[in-house]
Amino acid sequence: MTERTYLGEFELMILLAVIQLGEEAYGVPISREIERQRGREVSVGSVYAALERLEAKGLISSSLGDPTPERGGKAKRFFRITKAGLSQVHETRRVLSKLWQNLPELKGGRA
Amino acid sequence: MNAKPPILAIWMLENLTLGKCNEALAGDLLEEFRCGRSALWYWRQVLATMIIGSFREIISRRTVLIFAVFWSMLSPAWVLIVANLEKHFNFNDRVLQMEWPWNAFCDIGLLLAANLIFIWVGILLYLIAHSWIAGNFKPRVLSRGIVASVPIIIAIWVALLIFPQRFLQSQRVVQPAVISLHSYALTGMAPPRFAQIPAEMHTPYNNPRHAISNTGSAALLVRLPFFLCVLYALWGASHWKSEHKRSVNC
Repeated sequence: MTERTYLGEFELMILLAVIQLGEEAYGVPISREIERQRGREVSVGSVYAALERLEAKGLISSSLGDPTPERGGKAKRFFRITKAGLSQVHETRRVLSKLWQNLPELKGGRA
Repeated sequence: MNAKPPILAIWMLENLTLGKCNEALAGDLLEEFRCGRSALWYWRQVLATMIIGSFREIISRRTVLIFAVFWSMLSPAWVLIVANLEKHFNFNDRVLQMEWPWNAFCDIGLLLAANLIFIWVGILLYLIAHSWIAGNFKPRVLSRGIVASVPIIIAIWVALLIFPQRFLQSQRVVQPAVISLHSYALTGMAPPRFAQIPAEMHTPYNNPRHAISNTGSAALLVRLPFFLCVLYALWGASHWKSEHKRSVNC
């Protein structure tokens, strides 16, 4: 039996950002992308905490890049979605799409 | 614009943040800072990282925390057993009859042994139960925990000796508590000062169950060294295990 993991809202956002960024998915662009979409500041620490959770679940994998002088000699940690991660995103989209059917329209700011 | 973030914030990020990816995270924050983020933004990020990291570490080691609370709750019963043994074999008088500094050495040695036995048994029980459930037993982890408990209990004693009045109060509650009263001879206090305490208060508990159920502030002070020792030793051991696991994965 396959183990089913449930994604939180923030985790799903991060997974989608990692997919969108492709080869360039590391802490800074992931945080910027989420900040841009949400319209408010994001803690890089919370992004890393979620990335670690996703990595522990096997939904993403990570690898260290080369240290660069503009980062004080510190390496970037690049993240990439795994096959399990991609399948989880598709599954989440399928479930959410079904749940979003018949969503009532907002009228005058109230449902 | 400052090219370097606040030095204290950098130090806190590098030394006080728990968890993986610290280097990559520090690099990311520096990169963002050099792209025009403010020092206030940097501070906010560092503090958020520290809080999130600490919370995650506590959650991941919750069994250690729960066990340390449980084991330290039992410590007054152990103290009572030691007190009864001390009384039965008349250790106090024997030690007092010795010349200085042998009486101090003997007293501290007996005291260390009595306290460490309780702490080490706790560490051993936890690690055996953990290895039984997790299916592995690492002698190195056990030895690390055992070694770590010795300096920390000595440090706590020293800290408690700085507040002797408060500690004397705890002696009255769970007599004779963590430090044998003769050790106060080193600081020029008890036994003369202990003699001022009414005799009926010297042994308030004969039943270990009553000693365990006592949750007064002084009784909690008695439990504190045991709690910190068990927590520190097992925390270090579990940290080593997680680091080892990470390095294997890498």
